[in-house]
Amino acid sequence: MIMYVSIGKIVFMARSAIAIAALAILAACSSGGAPTTEQPVTVAPPVADYTGPAPANADVQAFKLNVWENLKASNRCGACHNATGQSPRFARNDDVNLAYQEAIALVNLTQPDQSRLVTKVAGGHNCWLSANSACGDTMTVWIRNWAGATASGGKTIQLRAPVVRDVGASKTFPADSALFASTVHPLLRQYCARCHASNAGTPQGPFFADADADAAYAAARSKINLDNPSQSRLVVRLRDEFHNCWSDCGSNANTMQAALTAFANAIPLTQVDPSLVISKALTLYDGTVAAGGNRFENSQIALWEFKTGMGTVAFDTSGIEPAVNLNFTGDVSWLGGWGIKIGAGGKAQASTSASARLASTIRSTGEFSIEAWIAPANVVQEDAYIVSYSGGTMTRNATLAQREYQYQAMVRSNRTDSNGDPAMLTNAADEDAQATLQHVVLTYDPVNGRRLYVNGVYTGDVDARGGGSLSDWDDSFALVLGNETSGNRQWQGIMRLVAIHSRALTATQVRQNFDAGVGERYFMLFNVSELVDVPQAYLMFEASQYDSYSYLFTKPTFISLDPNARPDNIPIAGIRIGLNGSEARVGQSFIPLDRTVTASNYTAIDGMRLSDGGAVIGLEKGPADDLFFLSFERIGTRTHTRSEGPVTPPAPPTDPTEIPSDIGMRTFEEINATMSQMTTVPMTHPDVRATYELVKQAMPTRETIEGFVASQQTGVAQLAIEYCNALVEDGALRSAYFPGFNFNAPAATAFGSAAARDLAFNPLLDRVLGVNVASQPDRAQARAELDNLAARLTSCGAGCNAARTATVVKASCAALVGSAVTLLQ
Amino acid sequence: MGSYRIQRSVARAATTAGPGSGLLARFALVALAAALSLASTAWAGPREQAKRMHDRIAGVPPSAAVLDQMAADIAAGRPLDAANRALESSAFYNVTLKNFVAPWTNREQSVFVPLNDYTATVIGMVRDDVPFNGVLSEDILYVGEGVAGVPAYSPANNDHYEQLEQRGADLRTVLQRRSQSALSGIPAAATAGVVTTRAAAQAFFIAGTNRAMFRFTLMNHMCRDLEQVMDTTLPTDRVRQDVSRSPGGDSRVFLNNCVGCHTGMDPLAQAYAYYHYDETQARLVYTPGQVQTKYFNNADTFRPGFVTPDDAWENRWRSGNNRILGWDASLPGRGNGAKSMGQELANSDAFAQCQVEKVFRAVCFRAPSNAADRARVQTIKGQFRASNYSLKRVFAETAAYCMGE
Repeated sequence: MIMYVSIGKIVFMARSAIAIAALAILAACSSGGAPTTEQPVTVAPPVADYTGPAPANADVQAFKLNVWENLKASNRCGACHNATGQSPRFARNDDVNLAYQEAIALVNLTQPDQSRLVTKVAGGHNCWLSANSACGDTMTVWIRNWAGATASGGKTIQLRAPVVRDVGASKTFPADSALFASTVHPLLRQYCARCHASNAGTPQGPFFADADADAAYAAARSKINLDNPSQSRLVVRLRDEFHNCWSDCGSNANTMQAALTAFANAIPLTQVDPSLVISKALTLYDGTVAAGGNRFENSQIALWEFKTGMGTVAFDTSGIEPAVNLNFTGDVSWLGGWGIKIGAGGKAQASTSASARLASTIRSTGEFSIEAWIAPANVVQEDAYIVSYSGGTMTRNATLAQREYQYQAMVRSNRTDSNGDPAMLTNAADEDAQATLQHVVLTYDPVNGRRLYVNGVYTGDVDARGGGSLSDWDDSFALVLGNETSGNRQWQGIMRLVAIHSRALTATQVRQNFDAGVGERYFMLFNVSELVDVPQAYLMFEASQYDSYSYLFTKPTFISLDPNARPDNIPIAGIRIGLNGSEARVGQSFIPLDRTVTASNYTAIDGMRLSDGGAVIGLEKGPADDLFFLSFERIGTRTHTRSEGPVTPPAPPTDPTEIPSDIGMRTFEEINATMSQMTTVPMTHPDVRATYELVKQAMPTRETIEGFVASQQTGVAQLAIEYCNALVEDGALRSAYFPGFNFNAPAATAFGSAAARDLAFNPLLDRVLGVNVASQPDRAQARAELDNLAARLTSCGAGCNAARTATVVKASCAALVGSAVTLLQ
Repeated sequence: MGSYRIQRSVARAATTAGPGSGLLARFALVALAAALSLASTAWAGPREQAKRMHDRIAGVPPSAAVLDQMAADIAAGRPLDAANRALESSAFYNVTLKNFVAPWTNREQSVFVPLNDYTATVIGMVRDDVPFNGVLSEDILYVGEGVAGVPAYSPANNDHYEQLEQRGADLRTVLQRRSQSALSGIPAAATAGVVTTRAAAQAFFIAGTNRAMFRFTLMNHMCRDLEQVMDTTLPTDRVRQDVSRSPGGDSRVFLNNCVGCHTGMDPLAQAYAYYHYDETQARLVYTPGQVQTKYFNNADTFRPGFVTPDDAWENRWRSGNNRILGWDASLPGRGNGAKSMGQELANSDAFAQCQVEKVFRAVCFRAPSNAADRARVQTIKGQFRASNYSLKRVFAETAAYCMGE
């Protein structure tokens, strides 16, 4: 009764709103303003009371609850297909049993998506939403619910033979590099050779700007799109990615494109290499749709698959009214193969009125799950809200967020505050969040509280607050993806599916949904009947648009659609995926494949799978236009032998303009060993070792003399002083080193004559400079310097202290040992 | 120009040094300037050539007697004999070779690391003229013998080598060849020269995915980083599951960059599937028949990717442009484990070329810089192979080439 009253209010309000809207449209028309666009219905449809006979059986009852009540409204099918309207009258309001009899002919309960009701609305027949696909998906859900199909039961996919198409012609690269050398190569040499050449200072592959045109041509081929030069990697890199433009990226890209166009225009259109052994061709959309099966959706209360691909609304296709549709603001763009990309300033947000049913449902169940297939743009963003049901940064029902390598969950309950704090984070060391496509699920139940699953696996992080009650959830909040409602908790990345469930999914159910995968997937059947002499023989791939720039081909399987076929002993090897007339140059995974289809491994239902691997193949023209085919090195009795051309040797390097110096420095340990040899003090001497450990990292580590810095000489000097100190302080060593020199004599005497000084300086000069080596410093000059040094140091005369003699020897020794004689080699 | 800069630098050092060292520093400046002014003039008699040759090989000047002998050899037209005399210097092993190898043994490529089993094994192999193409595959390890107070070799720490170095042991005399498998406890068939030394394991088998061992082996022994062997045309079937095919949602990054290295690297690095450095035990662990869990890290990143079943490696670079690395046609290009993969690398032309170029840079203080240098490198590479991969011969030949004229 209460429900009836509240529905009545909604009906009244909705009608009032429609009336106001109609007036507004009229006003707009009369004033000649901007054209109006249809807005999606965001409120429950107007429902007329039903007073007819009760459903005759359980199936009619299921039809009534799941389909009929959604269709009979006056702003949906019921507007025309009613009791007095257009046939078929499956939305008639007078007798649900009669409506059922009409509807039963329009549905396929085994494959709901193949139902007439679905194909009509998906084809644009009076779709009540702005996107036909959303109507189709919603209708599919309603019919599936009627059929009682549960996700765990799965659905059978009926393979359909595609239309037979032959592989088309395209441009291929000429074997000779001459054309490339005259058109593209000069430009590459001019602007790219600083890195992309084998003789560059910091060589960076690929070497498409190599001085040798053959080498450059070999490297550049995978970066050039002959059919569409504007899509060449060489152009895209400049135009869209601003990669080392030499002036203005736009004009640089145009220059590059012009060169590539000149190159491509000079190449005639050639047919597919006739020597190849190839299958028939098909596009992605010629395949049989493989998506949508096997998800656990029994408790799903909202689902966004982002299929629309245009406009600014992501439709909730859970089939539950009112739909929680999301409106884009800021940088939100559609992705190929279903999905959206959220950039800086972007978010997708539902109205609070549509979101309200989420709170009311979850309050009643006391548990929920948020499920998302996402690819974070990076792993440095923090406080980045992926899915949030909240009213601002300080108040929320639930939020799933990213914090660098961690996922974060905040849920309001009687165990947490109104902002869902304290937040629960995944273990930082696990680095659960990665910048790649991931399946992330947040579950909440009254026992365990928050749990996070990544790629189907429980992260193991325990909610310290445990489970509690969700009865305080606020139904005035809005659901928002990629941000907070206030717009200051930006998350950037890709979303391919988001779902909300009114139950905490079990680990098995999470795994089931992870295993079901995401996105637009097809079974592509490449016809090989002519090659293997088996009726309706196909090599089947599970294929999808992987992201906006590539396709994914997985699980190659040999299968015949003829249930009576018994293929046996069919070797298959060297599979390459081709598109638009030529084999893809990058990403081939099935070249090494070498299997034989045998009767014992083949079943009529599943065929024979040849590999579990996958290949990512670059997108060229888009899924509607890229025409794929397969080529084989061997299939059945047919073979195609390949041989590699000669390897391209790198161009000889360019000689440096300046010949490097052939004089170098001794490095740290060489200096140490040299000083040890010059002074006869072992390197293991404790004082020497201590100083060496202190200064070794200050001394040269490389021989190149251009790397000399002043601090290195300081280190050398310190070590020299230590060695000379050790030499002079050790009685035995100094006696052997300076035979006849009297260290106990006063300085004035010890250095008083040339003969006396010979005793001190000659041993040093012999050992340090060597004897009769012309490349060493002049011995007489060095001796004169030592004499001058001694004169200055002994100028104190009789006033010199007793240690002065040893000090002068140490100083002379250090001046020689610490000089360039040691440092240079 | 160069000498001017150095004089100026030393002058700065002299003025900034403390008061006690000011006098010495000033003198050092004078001596340095004098040396430079003299050194800038070319001298090329046998004694000068012998001095330079000894300096370059051993890092220290020759004794008077050795200088005389070497000069006589050179004067008699036997520069290789002269070089061989320099190669007898302990400093060649204790200083030159040690610092030549040390950067190969750690990720930072630092020369300031303690002596370890990787470095000691290379030094020993050079000293004993063990064919150097076994450096990545032999069951070999060098340990010190006869040095008092040095603990025995342990696969679980580096104490043995650190103590050898601390005590100033002469590596020319104390190093003895041993069987690595006997000392480390891993099977002989699982040894792979320096790759399975403790030092290499600690640096490159630690954590991660074991790709580091491959990359650093490539850099240190093939003189190429991955960017220089990129080839995007090879099949992607052996690229592991942990490599995102759509980094940040953009598969162009994978198809234009990631794929270039992983197609070749992943099937080669599979050879290391049973190796791991256990940080708790501080040693290399080998698990025959059981792939290390690190090979399954982030398996959900791309589930159709390659799942490593064993240690079977395959050299995909025998196709495509990396044929230029000159693989040995007598080897199969595939196999199981690190030993056969090490043989695959070390019998390539690139390996031989790399050893010669490394020695050339160490002895001549420059990369081969002109046609004459490059031709000489090719000649020495031929001699390296013809001499059963004697690295000592490479040092001698190179020193003879760069001794000055």
